Amino acid sequence: MSSLARSVPFSFGRLGIVAGNTFLEAVRQKLFNFLLLLAVALVASAQLFREFNFGSSELKFIADFGFGSMVFFGSTLTIAATAQLFFSEIENRTALTLLAKPIWRTEFIFGKLLGVLAVVGVFCALTTGLLLVLLYNRETALMAANPEAFEAGRLIHYGDLVLMGVLQWLKFGVLAAITLLVASFSNTNLYTVVMGFFMLVICHLQYLARDAYSQVSALPLRLLVQGLSYVFPNFQVFNLADQIGIGQGIDPTVFLRVGAYALTYIAVFGGLAVYSFSQREI
Amino acid sequence: MKFNLARLRPLLTGSLVVAVLAVTGLAVRPLETPAWQWVRAQQPALKLESLQGALGQGLTVGLLGGFRAITADFFWIQTNSVWEDRDLPATQTFIKLVTAIDPRPLYFWLNGSRMIAYDMPNWRIVDAGGYNVVPPATQRRIDEEQATVALRYLQEAFNYHPDAALLHVEVANVYLNRLKDKARAAEAYRRAALRPDGPFYAGRIYGELLRKLGRKAEALAWLKETYANLPKTVDRARGVSAFTVESAMAPLVLERIHELEEELNLADDQRVKP
Repeated sequence: MSSLARSVPFSFGRLGIVAGNTFLEAVRQKLFNFLLLLAVALVASAQLFREFNFGSSELKFIADFGFGSMVFFGSTLTIAATAQLFFSEIENRTALTLLAKPIWRTEFIFGKLLGVLAVVGVFCALTTGLLLVLLYNRETALMAANPEAFEAGRLIHYGDLVLMGVLQWLKFGVLAAITLLVASFSNTNLYTVVMGFFMLVICHLQYLARDAYSQVSALPLRLLVQGLSYVFPNFQVFNLADQIGIGQGIDPTVFLRVGAYALTYIAVFGGLAVYSFSQREI
Repeated sequence: MKFNLARLRPLLTGSLVVAVLAVTGLAVRPLETPAWQWVRAQQPALKLESLQGALGQGLTVGLLGGFRAITADFFWIQTNSVWEDRDLPATQTFIKLVTAIDPRPLYFWLNGSRMIAYDMPNWRIVDAGGYNVVPPATQRRIDEEQATVALRYLQEAFNYHPDAALLHVEVANVYLNRLKDKARAAEAYRRAALRPDGPFYAGRIYGELLRKLGRKAEALAWLKETYANLPKTVDRARGVSAFTVESAMAPLVLERIHELEEELNLADDQRVKP
């Protein structure tokens, strides 16, 4: 915190201004539009890929494909946008101008985080909405063609689809906070992006380490792996979409737990990013 | 040399970050554990055992998360491609990879096991010189080896589909057609027939196998019990369609019952009246 910043109290207004500017800057970038367009095109084309479906039911396949697109392009967008929006401030020296004014580094970092959250929020809302329309139309067509299969009503729980969209958004929020933590001490955009993807991989696969430690007999190794499983958040808990498309829903208590889990990590990673950024000489 | 504390600052910051994250991990465990257990219960594909075999090749695709279904579908196309080329190691690897990525569709398990049990012995025999060159004992050994692999594969499928009648039928078919083991085949058909979604033919084959095994009284008792429960007329109110009645083949079962009654020389009063 600069001495100027110390002279003013923490302000949500300033934080909101940073977030708003970050959002506008992101929306103006070609990357956001490109990834959004790709994801929307892929979700919309899920029906075309039905020809490749062998195992699962058609609705399940479309739901899986839609969420797959959301996860893939959403993760890419989150990491790339976070790194780019942070380093554009550093490289263009606007961070120097900004932090020379009475503004807390906490406001700067959390403003960036909220801006990225707004960007991925728009992304998730659009792709979830599109998937919802797609599934609803297809299910209606199937119901008309084969009414016996839908005697118990619709198979898709559309409310759960929205919950899944919210959970994906929260997961991207954790990923953005992690990327911001890396960016807070990193010197280059490229390093941040690469580390962001590594973290994404680790967080997706950390459950393997957790499974493995229970089978390891050597105590030091077991403790090490166990410790690592505590350090990285488990991204697989966000994957509740498996029951969508086969007539089963999401347990609301599980949704709330995962939501609280994500918010805790967003706050902790955001706080650590602030701490790390405060140690940094710009 | 003068000790510079500032040099240690990145290390101290890093250690602090790791420590805070570890404490957070511990603190959120009560939130995470029940949610993780729920997710795991819904997603058998996430079990470590299923990934171990495929981790080398499937790592990248596994990471795609939601693309699991379509990734497995594309690998299934690849499986069929190497199957057409009669590439045994590749086919076997892809079959396992597909079910490691997405073990939920029964289709993959059933067709994968058929490739292993029925096609691969043929490839091996042809590669070894053909049916006229390879001695019958060797052919038999190859059949048994591949059947064992297929049965092991189907046993794994039961971890994900414990109630699937068609898996029991597939096991029974391997025992009957590849291992010529009527007793074990009969037992597997019986298990299939006892499942709520068990096909009618599984019960009929079980009765016929008991008959061939010389357990005629047992076969008669089974067929009589089966016959009593078979749908004989269309009843839309109870969901019995013409197709169901046709598949049940009650007249055929009755005919077999009569044949068994003849073979067992039963008295008239002990015989089933149509």
